[in-house]
Amino acid sequence: MSPSNIVLYEAEYLRLKSILAMTQRDLRAELVLLIDRSGQQIAFEGPARGIDLTALASLAAANIAATDGLARLVGEPEFSILFHQGKRRSIHISDVAKRCSLVVVFDDSISLGMVRLRVKRATSYLEEVFRGFIRKTEVGGSSSKAGPGSKPSLYFTDEDIDKLFSFFKPKS
Amino acid sequence: MTFINYVAREINCKIVYYGPGLGGKTTNLQYLYDITNAENKGKLISLATETDRTLFFDFLPIDLGQIRGLRTRFHLYTVPGQVFYDASRKLILRGVDGVVFVADSQEERLDANLESLANLDQNLKEHGFDLGKVPYVLQLNKRDLPNAMPVAQLSRLLLTRGEPVFEAVAIKGEGILETLKAVARQVLVELRKSA
Repeated sequence: MSPSNIVLYEAEYLRLKSILAMTQRDLRAELVLLIDRSGQQIAFEGPARGIDLTALASLAAANIAATDGLARLVGEPEFSILFHQGKRRSIHISDVAKRCSLVVVFDDSISLGMVRLRVKRATSYLEEVFRGFIRKTEVGGSSSKAGPGSKPSLYFTDEDIDKLFSFFKPKS
Repeated sequence: MTFINYVAREINCKIVYYGPGLGGKTTNLQYLYDITNAENKGKLISLATETDRTLFFDFLPIDLGQIRGLRTRFHLYTVPGQVFYDASRKLILRGVDGVVFVADSQEERLDANLESLANLDQNLKEHGFDLGKVPYVLQLNKRDLPNAMPVAQLSRLLLTRGEPVFEAVAIKGEGILETLKAVARQVLVELRKSA
């Protein structure tokens, strides 16, 4: 059976954002980013100066996937935390609910110990949110409450699809 | 695994370009990068060896525009085609929404095509996908080469389920956009079915 899609509604999204914001504030982090395992960014907080979030999400997910592979090769179930230390900025990546990962970019004014502490707290809150909306998705499907009139329709026509791609400029 | 963010009004889908080594997967993405407006594309990331062989993956995020008020973003990935990079190919297929198989039309690459196709089938299964059901398009690349097999013969050997087939000359950009449109359409139709 193929994995189900992730559908994010307003209530859960705002809760995720508030957890990330709290973590970012406490750590004065450059960036706190939540991504899914296929490399899509879910939510983020922080100034993220000069950081391409799409690229970071994709590379972080690949990093995690490769590390999972390495762990299995050496007989470990997982390497749950990745830490890359730079001269000025470092990156801490950790698992959330086996579906997502939390990426924290921080500078050398914050200790790794403090990052780990705050990430551990954030992870438990995030996992609670995910448990909630996975339950909601399983029970309510796409009819979960997004608010009347606020949920865009997925009933697009073939003509709607044809209108995409209009900005490509094939070379002559 | 499509990610739908109703708050940000975005659909995000993942397409993986698969196929044997030096078949034209990276060339597909490079061409798409070249022809996409700056505001509709992100950075093209290529994790490659010193000799420009894909080592881990290429990645290109493209914004296709709005559909029913939803911004539609496709994340395009290629896998490394060389046989010994199978572990990496498995990882890149995680959460895939659609697949493009880029076949090398040259006669002497037939076995490599068939091996790569079998590998795709196996790796998809390991992720819980069925090649018979996942959005899928076959691209027959390098149609300009003198040793390219006839389209009918090559299609017969590589078709898995009557999927759309596109002829291409990737280094000239021929067939690339049509291929992407076809797989994107399938992904969106599949999404519509699940709504």
